[in-house]
Amino acid sequence: MRPSATARPETPGQTVLSPMLQRLAAERATGALTRDHGILYLADGQVVHAESPATPGIDVLLTTGGALRGDGWWDAVAQAGAGQRVGRYLVDSGRIPGGALELCHLGALYDAAFFALAPTSAPARFRYGVRHWIGPVRPVPVDAVQRETLRRRELLDRIWPDARTDSAPLAPTAGPVDTPVPPRQRRVLDLVDGVRTATDIAQELGRSAFHILVDLRRLAAAGLVETIRPASSGTGRPAGRIDFPEVTADPDVALLRRLRDALEAL
Amino acid sequence: MPGIDECLLDVMRLPGARGAAVVDWTSGLALGTIGESPNGDHEATAAETAEVARMAAEQPVFAQDRGPHDPAAPPVPAVEDVIVTTALGYHILRFVETAFDSSVFLHLWLDRSEGNLALSRIKLGEIAERLVLA
Repeated sequence: MRPSATARPETPGQTVLSPMLQRLAAERATGALTRDHGILYLADGQVVHAESPATPGIDVLLTTGGALRGDGWWDAVAQAGAGQRVGRYLVDSGRIPGGALELCHLGALYDAAFFALAPTSAPARFRYGVRHWIGPVRPVPVDAVQRETLRRRELLDRIWPDARTDSAPLAPTAGPVDTPVPPRQRRVLDLVDGVRTATDIAQELGRSAFHILVDLRRLAAAGLVETIRPASSGTGRPAGRIDFPEVTADPDVALLRRLRDALEAL
Repeated sequence: MPGIDECLLDVMRLPGARGAAVVDWTSGLALGTIGESPNGDHEATAAETAEVARMAAEQPVFAQDRGPHDPAAPPVPAVEDVIVTTALGYHILRFVETAFDSSVFLHLWLDRSEGNLALSRIKLGEIAERLVLA
């Protein structure tokens, strides 16, 4: 008996979010697929890593909670980044247990993939041969990633069918808060200040942005948070134009810098 | 390197173990699975058990018995595990405490006639600790 990341029989064609990704999986490609809202890294046609400006990177997740010290992370990047084995180095040097790295990395991978696979009209680009410096941790089949991304969209819509909480600045509602709020949602609610978006809150807490989306939709469903509406018309905006919120309305500069450094190091 | 797969293999060595999974209870994602699942679909099972784990973790009545906890650290559920007994089986959901922010639990499905609930509960707790402490 072998454990597996996914055990459902494959149902090709049903859950294709990106035909290009599907084709790359079929040809067992290795490289980086850049889409509007994130990057998926493939090795032999499997997803080995994903990054998106909408969600904290694995370094933020590991260092914010204290699982890893910041200097420990940078030391690992310095020692093993060029060899593209940062993950393995973190475990072998005793900085982080193997199971903890797998849990954190898988969470970050599905999280970033959810944003990277968001609907977009911009063309995707694939660079063959590109590998991520984190190195192999626990590869996931493309089908599993696509299926999970669809399931997550449905989950969010079941909780609260208004996607604006995912990307717009949020404010607490004026009403008195007498509903009990679970501790994890409370920490999110405490950061809702009329300015921050879901991505900002995720960065601050060092939590997966998808988890924040789930909590925010629950808080919105409970009537505790609402989106800030953009300033009303009369500001020169053409009448009748509808603005769709962007997932990365305010890209995190530090993350983009880190992405650039990582790409340059390849 | 002890990881998710090694941990699941350990779980399956428990007498009466029919299936197990590592699940994220916020998203309902199965991070790893092994053996059978009650409805033949590990992913659907994970989404369903995640909902049970979340309800237990978030109920104020269970959150009261929290032990000493660093307020700056990510919140950890006060609940250690959830046990559901059915006519033919036992289900144990064991929360995994990590040093980074997560919402992970181990789900073990045991055959009721072959499984030992008390022993399995203790062993599952040990395995959950080993998963994140090398």
